Amino acid sequence: MKLIIFAGTPGSGKTSLIKYVIQELRVDFKLFFAKFDCLRTEDEKNIAQKYGIPTIKRLAGELCPDHYTALEIPKIIQQNQDKDIVLIETAGLCLRCSPYVNEGLGINVLDITSGHPNRYGPILTDADIVTISKGDLISQAEREIFRYNILDVNPNCNIVEVNGLTGEGAVDIAEYIKNAIDIGKKKLTLKHSMPSAICGYCYGNRVIDEKAVQQRYLAGKELKNLVPNLNCGQCGFKSCNEFIRAVLDKKVKKEQCPFIK
Amino acid sequence: MNKEIKKIIILPGINKFGKKENFDKIEIKQGEIVAVVGPTGAGKSQFLYDLERLAQSDTKSKRKILLNDKIPDKEWKINPKKKLIASLAQSMNFLTDLSVEDFLQLHIQARGEKTDLKLIKEVIDEANQITGEPINPAMNLLDLSGGQSRALMISDLANISVSPIILIDEIENAGIKKEKAIKILVEEGKIVLIATHDPSLALNTDKRIIINNGGVVKIIKTTLREKGIAHYLNWIENYTLEVREQIRQGKKLKDIKLFCEKI
Repeated sequence: MKLIIFAGTPGSGKTSLIKYVIQELRVDFKLFFAKFDCLRTEDEKNIAQKYGIPTIKRLAGELCPDHYTALEIPKIIQQNQDKDIVLIETAGLCLRCSPYVNEGLGINVLDITSGHPNRYGPILTDADIVTISKGDLISQAEREIFRYNILDVNPNCNIVEVNGLTGEGAVDIAEYIKNAIDIGKKKLTLKHSMPSAICGYCYGNRVIDEKAVQQRYLAGKELKNLVPNLNCGQCGFKSCNEFIRAVLDKKVKKEQCPFIK
Repeated sequence: MNKEIKKIIILPGINKFGKKENFDKIEIKQGEIVAVVGPTGAGKSQFLYDLERLAQSDTKSKRKILLNDKIPDKEWKINPKKKLIASLAQSMNFLTDLSVEDFLQLHIQARGEKTDLKLIKEVIDEANQITGEPINPAMNLLDLSGGQSRALMISDLANISVSPIILIDEIENAGIKKEKAIKILVEEGKIVLIATHDPSLALNTDKRIIINNGGVVKIIKTTLREKGIAHYLNWIENYTLEVREQIRQGKKLKDIKLFCEKI
């Protein structure tokens, strides 16, 4: 199985590109598409309908969408052992996380109108392939400068200019995917560690105050020691952290977790 | 540029219905201008895309592209610093908040070369031959008019860009002398392909490739008569441009000189 992760800021053209890529690959390969987003999306339905491939959506809600993606990847792989290629579209909100794995292919969709590439962290610098979208909106000179600026921060990437309207570039991306290595049987590893999420705000604090942050953090930490941290879902939440937040917000009782007696 | 492209050869593929295209080979030489014409959706983009990808029977159309009579070096495909085709699309804008001079300098530097004041001057001078409203080096890119922007993009394409093949998707008429623009590109040794519905552009070429149903159906060598028609159309356009400029400058139209450049 090949694991392909598409990351890029919202509106950069990830979904449009993915549709064209799926069209190139669907005849010869068994595909699976997972769409991650924060609040809502219907893309997975549209794609399933239009291209006849199995899809799912995963909404991160209260969680960091990229951390959540990393949490979900093993399950998605487990459930799709019969597929040749698993395509994952991240929510793309964070320039820092973008959970590319060493064993798969990381594709960054970069909107050419979105400013200097040196603003971007691992979402760009750790991508195997950087696709430049919306290039037809600006001058050739700026496109060339943009290319060089990308190579400056990610010298080893392959650059493909894509067009989400016409599908230009999708054939090249499909070619890279066909040639990508299989993930194999070993555990997947992230290309880079994700940013820490360890303060009271991560446990849902809303009062902007040092003391309030600390108290929320300590209360969260206490619960964190009690829950199994397996994100088993038996409590009805996607992850232990989401459950802890709900407990701290007094929406549910901690005993809803079967591991807490 | 260390490797010059002197000639492109296109070998036939198939059309939408799987039928072989109607030609044995198309040769385009350095300095040639070729129009690609056909109804919307006919396959013009695929044709240009095959060129850009250096197709080797591996695209939908199954066309094959040879550079300088040989199967192209992988270098052209893989090296991200080399791009075979530079393009000029219909609705392009500048986004960079810099003076014209500083911007050109940045573009030269991005290509890994030293600042070259002479080259910068040349780019601006040639741009000013294309547009009726002079650009000066200190102007901000974002303040340029549509005509000035387009003229600067073309002159930059001719003088600074590395790509040996220039692809033009319908030059917009407003504010530029199209014939002059194309001439400048060709003089710099580029191969120019224009996808267009504009009659003066389509005829102001060496040949035009007619595409329909995903395949090349005909290649027409531009006749002398057609070139004459193109020249006449162009004269009308330049005349319009001149009238436009005079009106903008608050002049009365009786003062306008008619002009027609030699072919």
